[in-house]
Amino acid sequence: MAGHPLFTIDIVTPESIIWSGEAEFVSAMTTEGEIGVYAAHEPTMAALSTGAVEIHTEEGMLSVGIHGGFLQIFQNSVTLLTDRAEMTEGGRVEALRLAEGMRDDSPEDASETGE
Amino acid sequence: MASAELRLIRRRIKSVQSTMKITRAMELIATSRIAKARVRVKMSKPYIEKMTDVIRNIGASSGSLSHPLLDVREVETAGVVVVTSDRGLAGGYNSNVLRIAERAIADHKAAGREVRLYNVGDKAIGYFGYRKVMSAHDWTGVTDTPAYGDARTITNRLLEDYESGVVDSVEVYTTRYVSALTQDAVLWPVLPVQPPDIDVESLGEGGTSYEYEPDAETILGRLLPRYVEGTVFGILLEASASEHAARRRAMKAATENAEELVRLLSREANQARQAEITTEISEIVGGAEAMAGG
Repeated sequence: MAGHPLFTIDIVTPESIIWSGEAEFVSAMTTEGEIGVYAAHEPTMAALSTGAVEIHTEEGMLSVGIHGGFLQIFQNSVTLLTDRAEMTEGGRVEALRLAEGMRDDSPEDASETGE
Repeated sequence: MASAELRLIRRRIKSVQSTMKITRAMELIATSRIAKARVRVKMSKPYIEKMTDVIRNIGASSGSLSHPLLDVREVETAGVVVVTSDRGLAGGYNSNVLRIAERAIADHKAAGREVRLYNVGDKAIGYFGYRKVMSAHDWTGVTDTPAYGDARTITNRLLEDYESGVVDSVEVYTTRYVSALTQDAVLWPVLPVQPPDIDVESLGEGGTSYEYEPDAETILGRLLPRYVEGTVFGILLEASASEHAARRRAMKAATENAEELVRLLSREANQARQAEITTEISEIVGGAEAMAGG
């Protein structure tokens, strides 16, 4: 992965900015399918589904479990807005498990995840 | 006789001092809570700012925004949300909000509009309950330390009523945290969502056209309810910070009053003691002279 140009990414929740930094590659699940982002990606606005987001930085990979949300790519910076997010070092599997947990404890969004 | 007076004053001093201990403790607690509440207000800002950006960008790239939550309707029924605390001892904090809310309700009624009241906090429930103003929904246990889930619960209810046409607008009466010394009771319009100005700076950024996944309308439809949630959360956090600030100020004033009272009472006690001694001396001297004279 090394050597890719970097872009900035902020993961923002109502409680705080969960993570902010530079990444080489980010992958996330939109409501339509998987999206992979390298630097200089065209401006995009995507609705995310509950699941795992992977951030590949120069140092390694971070995984985040998120509860729905939105992804904006604009001027080489990525903003990920979600009402709940949890970071993990356990990789994609652990992030997915966290995301599933968020889904469980809020029954009112069962309809939303059915999309 | 004098010693009875002295005892009375000393008892009062003791009672004032123990009250002072309580108010001082409450002041200290409130002080530490303000700091935490202010941090939370600050931490919550980026989310709502970024969301505003996103909505603005959608508006800028698609020319205009249209969504039921953005439509301004003729108001037949106004939704009024009043945010107060659950506990008192916070000076004018609750009465300020309740006053502007009550005036607004009267104004709505004078203009021939129905009002649907939503209470947040025991103080609002008590106030309007006593005045026989029926509320559509009450929430308690929210304002001390608001969680995002609280904002979501309240918002869901408001959105449901707004979308089904039960209310045509929602305005929140709450307290805005300006500084440690100033908290203003304000009206905060929530629904319909007031779209951010789209023509100012965002179009200058090139009027970017976005790739949408799935499409602009769907995204806006998912985004706006979250935006309202975020707004309500921000309102609750500011109200909470204001509550703690108001309580700190009220308790500080109470502590200072108590200190002043103790000072005054001590002076009185000293005078009484002095008078007692003087009486005793004059009695002794008088007695001695009487004996010497005899």
